[in-house]
Amino acid sequence: MFRLTKHRVKVRHPQRIKPFAWLARSGLLLSLSCAVMSQTLAGESGYPGVGRKATTKEIEAWDTDVRPDFKGLPKGSGTVIQGQQVWDAKCASCHGTFGELTQMSAPIIGGTTAEDVRLGRVAALSNPNTVLRSTIMKVPTLSTLWDYLYRAMPWNAPKSLSVDETYAVTAYILNLAEIVPEDFKLSDQNVKEIQERMPNRNGMTRDHGLSTIKGRPDVTHADCMKNCLDKAATVRASISEDALNSHGDLSLQNRSFGSVRGLPPSKK
Amino acid sequence: MTSEIKRHGQLRKAPENFLDPQLLREIQQQGLDDERRRFMRHSFLMASAASAAAAAPLSFADEAAGDPNILVLPSHSTTLGKPVTQAGYGQPSRYENTILKRASPGLTRTQESSVSFTPLQALFGIITPNGLHFERHHQGWHDIAPDTHRLMIHGLVKTPMIFTLDDLMRLPTVSRIHFLECGANTAMEWGQPVVPTVQYTHGMLSCCEFTGVPLSVLLDYCGYDRQQSRFVLAEGADGASLTRTIPIEHALEDVLVAWGMNGEMLRPENGYPLRLVVPGIQGVSWVKWLRRIEVGDQPWGSKDESIQYIDLMPDGSHRQYTSIQECKSVITSPSGGQQLLNKGMFNITGLAWSGRGKIKKVDVSVDGGRNWRSARLEGPIQNKALTRFNIDWVWDGSETILQSRAVDETGYVQPGIDQLRKVRGSRSTYHNNAIQSWQIMANGEVMNVQAY
Repeated sequence: MFRLTKHRVKVRHPQRIKPFAWLARSGLLLSLSCAVMSQTLAGESGYPGVGRKATTKEIEAWDTDVRPDFKGLPKGSGTVIQGQQVWDAKCASCHGTFGELTQMSAPIIGGTTAEDVRLGRVAALSNPNTVLRSTIMKVPTLSTLWDYLYRAMPWNAPKSLSVDETYAVTAYILNLAEIVPEDFKLSDQNVKEIQERMPNRNGMTRDHGLSTIKGRPDVTHADCMKNCLDKAATVRASISEDALNSHGDLSLQNRSFGSVRGLPPSKK
Repeated sequence: MTSEIKRHGQLRKAPENFLDPQLLREIQQQGLDDERRRFMRHSFLMASAASAAAAAPLSFADEAAGDPNILVLPSHSTTLGKPVTQAGYGQPSRYENTILKRASPGLTRTQESSVSFTPLQALFGIITPNGLHFERHHQGWHDIAPDTHRLMIHGLVKTPMIFTLDDLMRLPTVSRIHFLECGANTAMEWGQPVVPTVQYTHGMLSCCEFTGVPLSVLLDYCGYDRQQSRFVLAEGADGASLTRTIPIEHALEDVLVAWGMNGEMLRPENGYPLRLVVPGIQGVSWVKWLRRIEVGDQPWGSKDESIQYIDLMPDGSHRQYTSIQECKSVITSPSGGQQLLNKGMFNITGLAWSGRGKIKKVDVSVDGGRNWRSARLEGPIQNKALTRFNIDWVWDGSETILQSRAVDETGYVQPGIDQLRKVRGSRSTYHNNAIQSWQIMANGEVMNVQAY
């Protein structure tokens, strides 16, 4: 036999609370009855009882984003030298002393020239032999660096940099990239000036059809059905044996039954 | 061997169930080292010998009688089965323990900013099982306590608001099936084929039924500024607090603030307890652990729209805010790194999808692109969702190339890799929606190739 009583939760007898007594005394009963009446209008007048107004402090706590026009950037400043101190303590273990390519990270610095700073286009990006693309080669906007450092760095302690530390680390990165001199101090007062020295500031385009559903595709193709080619397509590139074996034993990544099997490692 | 069973098989089928369950568990947890590999071979030989011994009484004269799997009743037919499942959450059969999400060795420098791929080669239909859903994290994942999670909506709104899960789940709810593809899916293949199987070429792809409240409902409720609003910013609650800009017309069209995924709550790796669902748009915009929506009049140029998720063009410029996942398809079986059992009938099956709407048709070529036949589409065909296709194929044992080519309701035809490269070069990383070629070798092996 189940003994339901064992699981029963003890509740205070509702009548002991007498909710309407204090409501009536405080004169709130009238407004309650209005609320009851408005229930039938829920769809038109919003969703009563759902959500609440955010406080100014709450919005301040989370709204740290900085736009390309620097809307959202808090007041503050930091020097290259201060930035180097923060960098050596909190950043260099992943990003190296100079923001170079490391085992932990893609390069932040490298591949830009004084001419790029002048023109706002990184020349190396149009060279098909450029394999590595550093952050500073790509990023068009100074706001992006500041925003990301403040929100997500350091890697294992995100959001722990102060506003001034963030200015300082940004200044240090700009100095490593030879955009500002060693004695430079970055602040909310001079960011717009420095934006005009970002090496890839003119390197972005939004002239494409891939940002909206109605955008026009840039590559077109026809759905030919019969005799589309004179002969079967030519194999131009085939997976190498090394690449075929680079992802472990494929026979153990497929089922042992069905119409196909995974290939065991090649005998070589 | 002249029996019916052997004559129809080119490959010798492995005796099933030859591994000790304890060993299987160890392999699952620790992978295969040399010692386990040796032990497996040993088990295999033992099992072969055992099955030969079991079949021994049925020698030549009895072979004509039929399959020992039928003639000798197995223990599952002659013993009492297990009681109702002891664990409250059911698990796949132990024979399915090779079907896992997997990382691509050497692809990323850390395990926290990394990817695991969905095993598309082994899935049926269009729905991705939650446990096999690919992962892409930018700074690791967390399992967030739902009663502490908050969603803030602010910016160009009349009333900035805070919502709890308690609040959101009281609102008008919808459930919709949509595909989710990372903008970098197939990124490794722009130059040449470098990964062996469809799991790694196309496995940053999934399709789930998502349940949540339309973002338009929340934006209306907060009173967004109909004159000034141009974009919204979505932000996650994880360490990366990833942010993406979404045009307001998308945000109002079909974007969901979702908590449900295939009938249960989101998995932690996929954003528990709240994520954005942005149908047709690349995965990075489907912000996980969603905590904040800001309404504004300009895009934000965040890290993942200014340094990553930008498409390098041959002239050295980068396309910014590329988001739409254009029409694409792939044959999932037979596919790279597999081997056909033998000549004869095969069901070619695969997936097609478009960020611009519904799939209109999928054509399949079994002769290297000379001739194409339209495949059967499994219905109902849904908007911005995976569509499963199937087509019969009789393999005559000769070398050939299989391809699939999808067309969406806008009339857009999935291009070849050569056509894509002509416009975009081979360094753009993102949005490779090329026709995939699988070469069938004379021995039945299937190879990842580029053919045109």
